[in-house]
Amino acid sequence: MLELLLQTGLNALYAAAYLSLVAVGLVLIFGVMGIINFAHGELFMLGAYVVVALYSGLQMPFVLVAAIGLVFVGCVGILMELSMFRQLRGNPLGGLVASIGFLMVLQALVAMGFGVRMEHVPPFTQDVIILSERVRLPVQRLIVIIVAVMLLVALWLFLKRTKFGWALRASAQDKEAAALQGISLRTTSLIAMFIGGALAGIAGSLTAPLISVTPTMGHSVIVAAFIVIIVGGIGSLEGAVLAAFIYAFVHTGVTTFLDGVIADIVGLALMLAVLVIRPTGFFGSADRA
Amino acid sequence: MSEALLEVRNLSKRFGGLKAVDQLNFSVAEGAIHGLIGPNGAGKTTTFNLISGFYRPSSGSVLLSGEDISGMPMHRIARRGLVRTFQHSTLFAELSVLENAVVGTYMLYPPQTFAALAGLRLSRDDAAKNRARQVLEFFGLLDHADELARSLSHGHQRALGMAVALASRPSIVLLDEPFTGMNPEETRGMMKLMFKIREAGATILIVEHDMRAIMGICDRITVMNFGRFLTEGRPNEVRRHDEVIEAYLGKSKQNA
Amino acid sequence: MPRWLVAVGVLATAALLLALPHVLSFSQREVLVFMTINILVVCSYRLLTLTGEWSLGHVVMMGVGAYASALLAKKVGVFVPLAMLLGAFTAAMVALVLSVPLFRMKGFYFLIGSFAAGEIIRLLWKRFRDPFGGPKGIKRIDPMPDFDLGIWNFTFFDPVSYYYFALLVVLAGLFVMWRVEKSPIGLVFHAVHWQDNLARSAGISVRAYRTLALVLSSGFAGLAGALLAHYIGTVNPNMFDIEQMVYVLTWAIVGGTATFYGPIIGCVVLTVVNEIVLREIGLEQGRPMIYGMLLIGTVLFLPKGLEDLFHRLSRIGLLFSRQPRGGQ
Repeated sequence: MLELLLQTGLNALYAAAYLSLVAVGLVLIFGVMGIINFAHGELFMLGAYVVVALYSGLQMPFVLVAAIGLVFVGCVGILMELSMFRQLRGNPLGGLVASIGFLMVLQALVAMGFGVRMEHVPPFTQDVIILSERVRLPVQRLIVIIVAVMLLVALWLFLKRTKFGWALRASAQDKEAAALQGISLRTTSLIAMFIGGALAGIAGSLTAPLISVTPTMGHSVIVAAFIVIIVGGIGSLEGAVLAAFIYAFVHTGVTTFLDGVIADIVGLALMLAVLVIRPTGFFGSADRA
Repeated sequence: MSEALLEVRNLSKRFGGLKAVDQLNFSVAEGAIHGLIGPNGAGKTTTFNLISGFYRPSSGSVLLSGEDISGMPMHRIARRGLVRTFQHSTLFAELSVLENAVVGTYMLYPPQTFAALAGLRLSRDDAAKNRARQVLEFFGLLDHADELARSLSHGHQRALGMAVALASRPSIVLLDEPFTGMNPEETRGMMKLMFKIREAGATILIVEHDMRAIMGICDRITVMNFGRFLTEGRPNEVRRHDEVIEAYLGKSKQNA
Repeated sequence: MPRWLVAVGVLATAALLLALPHVLSFSQREVLVFMTINILVVCSYRLLTLTGEWSLGHVVMMGVGAYASALLAKKVGVFVPLAMLLGAFTAAMVALVLSVPLFRMKGFYFLIGSFAAGEIIRLLWKRFRDPFGGPKGIKRIDPMPDFDLGIWNFTFFDPVSYYYFALLVVLAGLFVMWRVEKSPIGLVFHAVHWQDNLARSAGISVRAYRTLALVLSSGFAGLAGALLAHYIGTVNPNMFDIEQMVYVLTWAIVGGTATFYGPIIGCVVLTVVNEIVLREIGLEQGRPMIYGMLLIGTVLFLPKGLEDLFHRLSRIGLLFSRQPRGGQ
């Protein structure tokens, strides 16, 4: 029983790691731009398809491919900002709808380029760390965890220690004050979209060999990410990371001991409960989407 | 002095650590035009929002005809006969002037859902329209009944806001800065309207920053400063009150 | 507009709607049935948006009607038309229950909350094989019983017959919704949407009217779902997933939600584009692509939707000379 719990804990840790990367980007974008990016799951999916194209296809080294995934999807984030969100400033419903449109386009493009069938991505290492007879940690998962921790720490340092990071936090709190400091919302939005995209992209790239890669894989990721940001208190990066852990442990636990569908129901019910008990945005009309 | 229609007892509201309203007491007599004044940030608007149910008080109570209404949702308070207007001519901009007034008659003639589903026209719907026309006439807006509210002039929009509030024949109406942004002529027109409203049987509580207009119409004035009760009295008493002068002058020095 | 002109217009429209299936191919007739049902879905969705709330659970409400009607007909043996009405009623009641938690939220939170509630329902269908049939859903749902009207023998396997039947139901639904919107209730919906605090101050319980809009719109969505279930004879959880919801959202937004006819235009235009144009040139898989680009394009360049385009054209043609409430 203890071993089963340990194994479940390790699985949850891995799920929490990549989920944090996705959720943190979502929170950052919402904080700076006030837009809920529904296409965030598709950015994750794009990261996975970078691996399909360059690693399983062109046989490039995985480390390089993951780095390309990070930069490429970050640039897609910038493209979203330039082509859509910039024109829709101050129109959260418009931004949300545009992001839904964008996710359909991305899904369709990938489906046309790669087909809708599940892609097989060969593992970049077969090694498994054997902690005990029944507690095993595949090295691939360990790497996801390590990279996620590194990136989250890097993001934290960036936000706390650099001028741009300060600007990002400032514009999440008070747009006018931030603008007075000479850092425009245009710049901070570009940075937020790049970081958000890049984190989702690398999460997709790293997990590509571990999960089923299809053009619609972003769906379950975005649902999980929404649960995480709501439970974490929308707008809080630390809350999102914490909630990613809670959600991953609950979901993995219920999946292991009951079944996957029940786990999904529990996750959604958790989000609903948080929304009911603490309906943020119940008063202010400014944050109406 | 007749009996108090509205009574505020030890009313307090805290936002975080800030005491926006602190242990406020005052009462409004039936049939009065009562002013609530004070410099910017004195807590008048918060008080207003507490009375009308827009905010929930941190402590203390609000009594309407002797019954505790504090903490009730706004529509419940409205149904007990206390109706408010909003600053900046808040209206249903895309509706016609008449339709705005019809919404105001909601409490007198609430629409019947099943009749609407069945596509039936009820007598109460016509009664609502008649009452709406009546109140528009009272405010001199009948000629504009079919115009969109957003196309009205500023003064007319202000009058329509009051028409919407008074369409339901409330026992007391709370007016939120009715004189703001008005020229002297508009101000005189508005003052006349207030006397007319009182003649029609409604008690009036006005929150106003501008002292001059309010001096001319109020029977009694309550002055607030820093969230607390400062003084109360007839206009000429308040006008000469040292602390009131100081509160206003002190504020304007800061502003200068 | 003179009365006779209106009468001529109504008669011409009626003739057109009756003749329509006869000029189409068999597969196009099937699409016509789906489109008719979808018009009811998208118009009922607009009814909800009248109070200012956007839901992501509307298609699931359609599914509730479909499942309820299918189960009532199949397991209890309820007469199919009656089962459809009961299906609509079930959807309305489920919406009433859901409104208790959901209307503690508004704006984005309501959007996400409605999605969560809808997904939970969908997952319950998936999880519980009895009675919902699990992921494969319910099959061999009783069709509408045939009957002979003298001038027309209704055999409901035939798309033309079912089209006439669905058209009748959908028009009745649209008529009721139109009446509600033009009634004093519609006025209150508008008030609740645009100035909720002023509405409260007029004694209106904003929450009660949001709930009313949700219950009504879900009821009509449920009716549409029941129509669909007894036509194709099967329901499963995937028929009512978020992808379908996004299609409904696209029809509504591309068409525009300010007027009654906007969503209808959106649904008709996009269905024609999709089924006729895309299918002819063999690009059916491009549907999400086209929808997505239209969605982005509409938000960026035509924020009021196609109805605005029609509206501008009509100023020249005086086609719709009277402007509906809430129009620009």
